[in-house]
Amino acid sequence: MRKQIPNIAGGIFLILLLIFPLTYGAADYDYIMHILITGFFYAILAASWSMLSGYAGQFSFGHMGFMAIGAYTTGLFCHYLYLSPEPTQLCAEMPFFGQWLVVVNPIGVTSTTLTQDCLRQALDAWGGTVDVQPMPVLLGIVLGTLMGAVAGFLVGMLVLRLRAAYLALFTLGFSEILKATISAEIDITRGQAGLELPPLYPNGVNLFGTYFEPTDKLPPYYTMLALLLACLAILGWLARSKFGLFVRALREDQDAAAALGVNTTRYKVLVFTITCAMAAAAGAVQGHYVQIITPNMLFLLQMSLVVAMAVIGGIENFVAAAIGAIILQVLLELLRNSFVIGGVEVDMTIWRLVFFGLLLMITLRFFRNGLIAPIIGYFRREGVAEETVAKRASTVTGPGGGPHRTEAPE
Amino acid sequence: MIHLKVTNLQKRFGGNHVLKGVNFEINGPELIGLIGPNGAGKTTMTNILDGAIKPTSGTVYLGEKRIDQLQPFEVARAGLGRTFQVTRSFRRMTVLENLYVPALAMGNTHGQAELRDKAMGVLEFLTIDHLRNEYAQALSGGQQKLLELGRLLMLNPDVIILDEPFAGVHPRLMEVIYAYIQRVNDEGKAIIIISHQMDSIFSLSQRLLVLNFGDLIADGPPEDVKNDPAVIEAYLGAEEGEEETA
Repeated sequence: MRKQIPNIAGGIFLILLLIFPLTYGAADYDYIMHILITGFFYAILAASWSMLSGYAGQFSFGHMGFMAIGAYTTGLFCHYLYLSPEPTQLCAEMPFFGQWLVVVNPIGVTSTTLTQDCLRQALDAWGGTVDVQPMPVLLGIVLGTLMGAVAGFLVGMLVLRLRAAYLALFTLGFSEILKATISAEIDITRGQAGLELPPLYPNGVNLFGTYFEPTDKLPPYYTMLALLLACLAILGWLARSKFGLFVRALREDQDAAAALGVNTTRYKVLVFTITCAMAAAAGAVQGHYVQIITPNMLFLLQMSLVVAMAVIGGIENFVAAAIGAIILQVLLELLRNSFVIGGVEVDMTIWRLVFFGLLLMITLRFFRNGLIAPIIGYFRREGVAEETVAKRASTVTGPGGGPHRTEAPE
Repeated sequence: MIHLKVTNLQKRFGGNHVLKGVNFEINGPELIGLIGPNGAGKTTMTNILDGAIKPTSGTVYLGEKRIDQLQPFEVARAGLGRTFQVTRSFRRMTVLENLYVPALAMGNTHGQAELRDKAMGVLEFLTIDHLRNEYAQALSGGQQKLLELGRLLMLNPDVIILDEPFAGVHPRLMEVIYAYIQRVNDEGKAIIIISHQMDSIFSLSQRLLVLNFGDLIADGPPEDVKNDPAVIEAYLGAEEGEEETA
């Protein structure tokens, strides 16, 4: 029964998350919802990174890079591609299932005026007589996820022979190159000015018999939560399958695993592909939620935050990593509230990071597998030690090696 | 019928000629001891046989299949398994999980319950069944050696290379390892034992291979090898000399 306590607690936690938006009605509703949506976003990143680094032992510091690939793929897709019933005669375009696929010309940061690109000029010329459709957001998210998977596959192939610090540095380099490229290609990505994305539900959405505007928080809340649950379900299925067993063997000793018949190359590439696809999916959804993406999402600090969340939750347990991410995201926001001690105001906008750093240091020093994973492990592995002692007492090894089993002595 | 054929196996690391054209064959379930002083090339040869490193020249065939250019996992699937000189258990996985890895890697077609029964049978034989749910890191050095042997039973290869199976093992556990070797050999598998424990090697082996500075200087029954002048000079002779000095 006690072994089921983590499952029961997880179920209660999930129910609370599911009913929260329907029951919470305070004035800071949007703010709290935003914190939780962001928490789910980080939870996907922390859980997938936990599978990659905690389970498979592939310490990648490029996870935010794959997240950005997902975000920028859907961002560029939705920003530059449109469907028109008439050719614009101004843009690059091609016939596409009875319509015209229009590729808007990149004009960099000047496009903030929204009048200089070829499509705007065509729309002005048409005077509202032609209905040009943007690309479906969902298709952009799917493409972003696929692009993240492809990038993860390629990086996985490139780092096959790299281990430990070399792998970490390689992936960090990959992320930095990506950031520099996005920053430099201002014409296409709009650089630091940021690429604008349509909202997750551009036309709003009906949920529970209520219409929600594109800017409402409830639809993205459930969308991000659903993505998190889907990722956790996939990770859980993988962890319980031979995939999970093999990637853990890979983490423990790659050479020994190979000597026992495990195709280490396949599983190393697979774990990169799957976890990077998850990071990309999270990035794509988050991009549409916040509606603007910049290269700043690739700052090392962001990657450090994901690593810290996974480490504090428990790097070798993706559920613990996800819970850790949500709790830390909420804590970091709550700690923004400054307070006064003995007439001295403590500015928590600065001190919260000190608190965060201290928590990370204490975890690393005293709780190697995080703060949440050991609690889950305590219940899951309950009785193992007693069982070992009891079985040992009932076994007497006979001479010559073969075991001679007897009843335990009185 | 097991047939391992090593032909003109050479390996160079820069200017260091570690293996200088080794030739030998294994036909059937032989129990072979591989000995030689430190630096003789025993571990290098093991690493080549298991696919961890590629030879500079020469070939290794297991049956009809050439295995010297295969990846280690392909060699394992072809039917050659090994243990390591320094025990390499999957420390943060349970004892049972350690055994499941090779069985599933080989494409275990049995159900979960059958796999568990098989693993439990192996653990009972190795007298560590009471530790089945413990993490491997909780096991003693000797128990971890037994666990490595158990993984090979689950892999079920035709040829097994045991690298220093007796090093640092308690005499009682050594009896278990002896029984293991006898059982596996009786099941029709060929075993190559690399060890510096001469008593164990001479009592167990049906045939001895002696490497010295990359050359195979003797290959035959233990009694013949023991009296081979080249072996006495290169290896045993040195020990006897030391004993006399002492």
